[in-house]
Amino acid sequence: MLQYWTAILTEATIFSVLALGIDMIWGWSGSFDLSAYAYFALGVYMTIVMTVGKAKSPTEFILGWHLPYLLAVGIAVIVVVAFAAIIGAVALRNLRDIYFSITTLGAVWAIYYFVENYTPLFNGYNGVYGLFDPMGLGLSYNAYHYYFLGFCLVALFLAYLLVMRLSRSPYGRMVRAVRDDEFAAEVYGRNVFWAKYRTYLFGAGLAGLAGGLFAAYIGAFNSLDWAPTEIFVLYAAILVGGRGNPRGVILGSFIVYVGFVEMTRYIPSPAARPELGPALRQVMIGLLIILMLKFRPSGLIPERLGTDGTEPRRLWHRWPARGLAVASLAQDESMPSSTTIPESES
Amino acid sequence: MSTNVLLELEGLSKSFGGVVAVKDCSMTIREGTVVGLIGPNGAGKSSVVDLVSGFERPDSGSVKFDGRELVGRRPDQISRRGLIRTFQSPREWRDLSVIDNVRVGRSELQRETLWRSVFFARRLRREEAADTAELRELMAHYNLEGVRNRRAVALSGGQKRLLEFARIAAAKPRLTILDEPMGGVNPVLGERIGNAIRELKSAGSTVVVVEHNLPFIESTCDEVVVMDLGTVIAQGPFEELRDNKRVVDAYLGNDDE
Repeated sequence: MLQYWTAILTEATIFSVLALGIDMIWGWSGSFDLSAYAYFALGVYMTIVMTVGKAKSPTEFILGWHLPYLLAVGIAVIVVVAFAAIIGAVALRNLRDIYFSITTLGAVWAIYYFVENYTPLFNGYNGVYGLFDPMGLGLSYNAYHYYFLGFCLVALFLAYLLVMRLSRSPYGRMVRAVRDDEFAAEVYGRNVFWAKYRTYLFGAGLAGLAGGLFAAYIGAFNSLDWAPTEIFVLYAAILVGGRGNPRGVILGSFIVYVGFVEMTRYIPSPAARPELGPALRQVMIGLLIILMLKFRPSGLIPERLGTDGTEPRRLWHRWPARGLAVASLAQDESMPSSTTIPESES
Repeated sequence: MSTNVLLELEGLSKSFGGVVAVKDCSMTIREGTVVGLIGPNGAGKSSVVDLVSGFERPDSGSVKFDGRELVGRRPDQISRRGLIRTFQSPREWRDLSVIDNVRVGRSELQRETLWRSVFFARRLRREEAADTAELRELMAHYNLEGVRNRRAVALSGGQKRLLEFARIAAAKPRLTILDEPMGGVNPVLGERIGNAIRELKSAGSTVVVVEHNLPFIESTCDEVVVMDLGTVIAQGPFEELRDNKRVVDAYLGNDDE
């Protein structure tokens, strides 16, 4: 049981890092990106092929460098960012909203099928494997996993500090201004493409880092282990926690991964229909998204509102700050403004 | 009043799929003046604003701002030279607080680099804290003091107009182009907006006002440019244009105001 929980928590921690990256791209800069799971997968593949030795026939993959783990993760992140730079340059320059999303969706499926079918790259659908205890600690199987959970938590904490710092900086505010109204941002001298592009690359880098961690956790990776559609679980996590708030995103990731993805494994499947359990899990995640959008659209910990520090901060506030209901009320100019303004929140 | 030419349009033309919006349009705006840009609906006023601010690219002609060509520049590049425009409806950053809206209007762009945000976070925070007093003064001046820490989306329509002026005042532009600042505005607020325009002028900004409300133009502008059918048909002080036959035919004659 302890091992089981270690595994779940490690996964939730790693996916929190990934969610932080996706939240930068979507929550902050407003680009509904669907290719982030490819950056994550690329991070996993690259980390594995750079840390295990040369491929032995019939297995084939590139590199096989035997690099130290941390160096391999670093290089993997750089490769992922370079890759995102290409996709982002195409998708972000002139495309917005749904057109941007469609382009990134096309990109992720292209990558998925390419990786699955072109064996010299990552051994096709058989995938790459053989990564265990990359930091050479010589621990037992169980001890290694306890240790690695701690390692991931430290990585998540560092990623959180970095993201939080950016979120509260003038840069974080500017990116959100670009998200809220591109034209107005341009009028005030902001280069919209550059703002979104920088954020995109940073988010992709975090996805690559999450991939690097996942590589050491799972040890082997093939195209059955990931699918582009899994990104919706992460979007559900961001919605639950609070789009645009790093704390909320981490909370949401743990809730969704521990609470939903793992707990729903206990849903009994009749022997004749073994696919029922996993299918129900998807249904429950869909239901979760709908319920959150209906009752608390800004998430459990909504995006922090930049104030001048004269008002008390609250972690929790009663009213959905970004709800459609509030927005439509507030836009009704006949209403006296003092009654429609929701309470400020943390 | 200086006689320096700040903005010079020459032979500007633009068609949208065969519909001529702006045709051989030329005008000069002198520094330190408040200029009204008027004309009947469809005269091409808003298209000229889009062409000048870089949101549309002219088919031909040139736009010189302080002697430098603007045609071919992106809107953000043009803005960084000191030109701020508004749109017909207020465009606030809805999920930013009111004070942050003004802060982004004011904030210096070099603070927004990624590496600075990561490595000099504390210094940036200090710099920003130093601005807060000035921003709060602006908030108070535009009657936004009580709502400064609210989300901008929650403001009323009139407050959004005032926020727009607070943001412009914070940005301290050399040229401000206001596209119908009086749209949907009540008379009391209208007076407030007239004052805001005069304040922009005294703060050193040249102002171009696109507006249909002629009494408002008369009371706030030093000079008026009249457009019809995509081109400038007259330019001069309001009183002189009252008797100009082309202007009367094109616009004033059909106007019951």
